[in-house]
Amino acid sequence: MTDRLTTLRKTIENVLPNVEGVLALRIGPGGITAPHLFSKEHSEELDKLALWPKEPVPDTLKIILRAHPDAKLAIVCRGCEERGIVEMFKHSQLNLDNLTLIGLQCEQDEAEFCRCAKPFTVHSKLTVGEPIEGVPDPLTAKIEAMSQPEKQAFWKQEFEHCIKCYGCRNICPQCFCNICALEDETWVETGRLPMPNPSMYHMVRAMHMTAKCVACRECEETCPADIPMAVHFRLIARDVREMFNYEPGASMDQKPPQLLVLEEGEYERSGLPH
Amino acid sequence: MYEPKIIGFLCNWCSYRGADTAGMARMKYPPNVKIIRVPCSGRISPELVLRSFREGADGVILLGCHIGDCHYATGNHRTAKRMPVLKKLMEYTGIEPERLYINWVSAAEGEKFTTVIKEFTETISALPPFVETMK
Ligand code: SF4
Ligand code: SF4
Ligand code: FES
Repeated sequence: MTDRLTTLRKTIENVLPNVEGVLALRIGPGGITAPHLFSKEHSEELDKLALWPKEPVPDTLKIILRAHPDAKLAIVCRGCEERGIVEMFKHSQLNLDNLTLIGLQCEQDEAEFCRCAKPFTVHSKLTVGEPIEGVPDPLTAKIEAMSQPEKQAFWKQEFEHCIKCYGCRNICPQCFCNICALEDETWVETGRLPMPNPSMYHMVRAMHMTAKCVACRECEETCPADIPMAVHFRLIARDVREMFNYEPGASMDQKPPQLLVLEEGEYERSGLPH
Repeated sequence: MYEPKIIGFLCNWCSYRGADTAGMARMKYPPNVKIIRVPCSGRISPELVLRSFREGADGVILLGCHIGDCHYATGNHRTAKRMPVLKKLMEYTGIEPERLYINWVSAAEGEKFTTVIKEFTETISALPPFVETMK
């Protein structure tokens, strides 16, 4: 059995002639891994192809597509990144006809690092590595088990560390609105740190990630204050599954519940009075 | 005992008139609710609810037309879809989800209006002032 890096390299070499570029990770100057657009003109760069640490590849795709909406590209994506791409597609952020997905299956230690329930791709036709089972998320379980005052104290302390750099929003593959509620002073006041509790910034963001967050944890990884905000998004994702029967990124054609009309049976599951 | 501050967002077409019906019949209900008339319950975004809390409300009550009776057909579907999620988020953040209450009151339901307001005021009175818990 060949290792994932070798197989991935071969797969990319096969795909390169048919596309304008392949988005994957490369070990750059200073030994730092970052997203890179590999091209057939510089295929020797594949010597520096990398797998880990995970870096925000879909976010880079978003930036490239903004400047070149019709680019014909391929992207190496893990399970979460593939889900992100599917949601971007559903919200008209990209054209899947122009995008070749190369699914990279995560290994046990990677899945554990991400506390990931679905460390595998399901849509990519080309795949590298063997899919493994999801792993539990001890952090979310721990926070969920807290009492109400404990939760309150925990999140207050976490949100107090936020410096409002907007990094978590900027890195998120699912944050693409041109006008962002988090930049509206009606909701998030400027010039106050720590921000008043409860944090409007984080609560509004959590509401806006509903039925969109694909649990890639890019936001947590980028946060300079180490705030475990994806815990909120994961708990809400579970509710969205129960209430709306929707899982972001799971299927290509299921309608996202942000379409604000109730579907059959949704009201019954909402917990509101009958 | 403290007097809780409650913000009530009432849909113009049903619940606001339900409040009128209650008033006209001289039904008694606690005066803690500051009523804000809105064109439709679907106008109330999660941001508005959160900001009400941030401005010091101890509870927020949102009353709209019954499902199927919304003046704008599906405006209250939005309410029914997003407010339960907001309640969950409040719970996960350590805020009592009871502080946010959603129900449907038609123009004729003056009685229901007073009951709902009474019960909600009791629920909120039993909780500590919101700003205290946030300190
Ligand atoms: S985990 Fe964070 S970055 Fe990833 S989709 Fe969810 S909110 Fe966005
Ligand atoms: S990345 Fe962290 S510090 Fe920056 S705005 Fe988000 S939560 Fe706050
Ligand atoms: S008009 Fe009353 S809820 Fe929409």
